[in-house]
Formats: sequence, structure tokens, C-alpha cells
Amino acid sequence: MDHLAPKVHIGGITFDLAAILMIVITTAIVMILASMATRNLSVDKPGKLQNFMEWVVEFVSSIIGMATDFKRGKVYIGLGLTLIIYIFIGNLLGLPFGIITEAHGQVHFLGLPLDMDGHEEAHFSWWKSPTADAAVTMALALTVIALSHIQGFRQNRKHYLKHYLQPWPVFLPINLIETAAKPLTLGLRLYGNIFAGEVMIGVILNMGFYGIPALVIWQGFSTFVGAIQAFVFTMLTMVYIGQASIHEEDH
Amino acid sequence: MSFNWTTFVIQLVSFGLLFWFLQRKAFGPLLGIMEKRRQAIQEQLDSASNNRSDAERLIEEQKQALQQARKEAYDIIEQAKSTGSKQAEDIVIAARNESNRLKEDAVRDIETEKNKAVASLKAQVSGLSVLIASKIIEKQVDEQTQKQLVDEYLQEVGNKS
Repeated sequence: MDHLAPKVHIGGITFDLAAILMIVITTAIVMILASMATRNLSVDKPGKLQNFMEWVVEFVSSIIGMATDFKRGKVYIGLGLTLIIYIFIGNLLGLPFGIITEAHGQVHFLGLPLDMDGHEEAHFSWWKSPTADAAVTMALALTVIALSHIQGFRQNRKHYLKHYLQPWPVFLPINLIETAAKPLTLGLRLYGNIFAGEVMIGVILNMGFYGIPALVIWQGFSTFVGAIQAFVFTMLTMVYIGQASIHEEDH
Repeated sequence: MSFNWTTFVIQLVSFGLLFWFLQRKAFGPLLGIMEKRRQAIQEQLDSASNNRSDAERLIEEQKQALQQARKEAYDIIEQAKSTGSKQAEDIVIAARNESNRLKEDAVRDIETEKNKAVASLKAQVSGLSVLIASKIIEKQVDEQTQKQLVDEYLQEVGNKS
């Protein structure tokens, strides 16, 4: 039987409780981790968490340095850090376990009926990676793409507007398609990788005891994929922002 | 694949909040600390390089001072050597002069004493011979003759001596 997402309807608006729960949990974990890491800041005797956080800062700085000019991309270091930590933790959260509730007959959450999709019995899956939800990844992707356009328009107006007509004005439709494709590829790449990983875990779980070695291997691989995808998302964010807003003088 | 716009909006809002919170509470202070550390390290590097150049300068000065001192010591020794040998020569010359003078004095004294002794001997001998002669020949020769005889005799002695 398929696992359903627990949904409630309030005034015609559908709330996906699992996604909301995971967004809140991931946000809370990132906040707590960052607060702990930066609680006792010290110039000459950094603690372990502070060291780790400084390593992450260096890492994101190197990403910005790779994608664009570091001096001018420095202001985006906070955005890059937030993205990479949030996405990485989000990617990993769905890996270690799942929470499934069985429902026989209509069940309620805080007095609201859960959407059973017309069935009498349903299995609700409460625990997953927030990044295994297309709405979440598209929200992240659109945020950064919108930011890149805004910054391009504000700081680099002439070249930003001109690039739609490059190399000739006849390329305008192609450039518009590229502009529309950027957030789609950015968001759906992340969603696809993480969602596929979770589907695969579900498949392996159905194998029973024989699946344990495969599960171990796949979870290790998923950790790797989660890290890579967080890196790729941050990298592409910086590349897009750099392309749009930071005009290099030498070309 | 289902796309839930509520989730989309919630994610937008929560990401905005998260970004705002982290920027304000975590990354701002952290970046500040890292910048501070960078400056502190830069300062230490600068002061280290200053110290090193100071040390090099001091070593150079010390070397020169040592060289100077060595040269002065050498000069002093040389001077002392030359002074010493000159003094020694002076002393030797003075001693030689003194000894010469002493010798000459002594020779002269000896000469004088000898002459004196000879003169006194002459006088005594003449007196004694007068005495002896007078004892021997008593009244036979008067004093005038006697004296003449003695003088002759002494002349002979003087020639022989």
C-alpha cells in the first residue's frame, strides 16, 4: 500500500502536514546548530563547533570564489551558508528512519479530518526529507533565481538587460527559455535526487532482511548524494547571481 | 509528483526567517570574529617581521662593535709592546751608562789612592832611612850629607821601580 502524505483542508487551502513538520524541524535544527556553534565565539581559542562552522564558511567562500569574483560576491556568503546547511541537513533528515501511522477509518489531526484519498484505510508517512518535496525545492530555487534577477537589475542594469539580446536580438526567445529553465532545473534537480533516494529506500525496505546490506550501502550513498546536491545547489546559486549581477570588466 | 502551493509559501517564509535569523545571530558575529582573527594574525606577522629586522640590525651593530673592540685591543697590545721594548732599551742604556760611570769612578779612585800610597810610602821610607842611617852611622855624617845620599838612593829606587 502506498504511503499517503497527511493533508488537511482549511477553507479550501490544502496543508501538507508532513512537509510543514519537516520544514519546521529542519529550520529549527539549523537554527540550534548555528546558535550553538556561534555561542561562545573566540578569536584565539575557537571551540569544536566554531571550528566546524568556520570551515563551512571557508568552504562557501571558496564556492563563491570559484563561481564569481569573491570580493564582490562576499555579501552573498550568508545566503550561501544558509542554503548549504539547510539543504544538507534537509537531505540527511529523511535517511535514518521513517514515521508511518496507520489509519483505519477517518482520523483527525487537531480536530481537522485528514485527507484519506477516498480510502477506508491509509498509511500516513510523517517523516521525510523536506527537500524530497518539489514545492520546497522550487521555493528555494525561485528565491535565489529571483534574487539573481533583482540584483542583476539593480547593480548591473545595462549588461543585465543587454544579455537577453545576446548575441543577436533574434535570440530573445531562447534567452527567455533559458531564464525560465534555470529555476526549474535548479529546483527539480535537488528534488529528483532526494526523492529518488527516498523511493529507493522504500523499495529496499520491502526486500526484508536481505535488503539490510543494500540499505547500508544506499544510505551511505544517499548521504554522499545529499552533500553533493547541497554543494551543487549553492554553487549554481552563486554562478547565477554572479552571471546576472557581477559584470566582469575584461569581456 | 504533487505540488502543494501551501508548502511552497511556507518554505519561502521559513527560509526567509531562517536566513534573517542566521545572518543576524550566527553568521554576522562569526564573520566578524574571523575578520578580527585575520587582522590579529596580520598584526602578529607584521610585528614578527619588524622584530626580525630589528634583531638583524642589532646583530649587525653588535658585529661592528665587536670588530671595533677587537681592533682597539690589538692596537693597545701593539702599543704596549712597542712601549715596553722601548722602555727596556732605555733601561738597558741607562744601566750601561751608570755602570760605565761607576767603573770610571772606581778606576780614578784606585789611581788616586795608589798615588797617595806611593807618596806616603816615599815619605815614610825617606824618614825611616834617615832614621836607620843615623842609627848606623850616627855622628859621622851630618844631616846635610845624609839627605843628599838618601835622595841619590831614592832616585835609584825610583828608576828601578
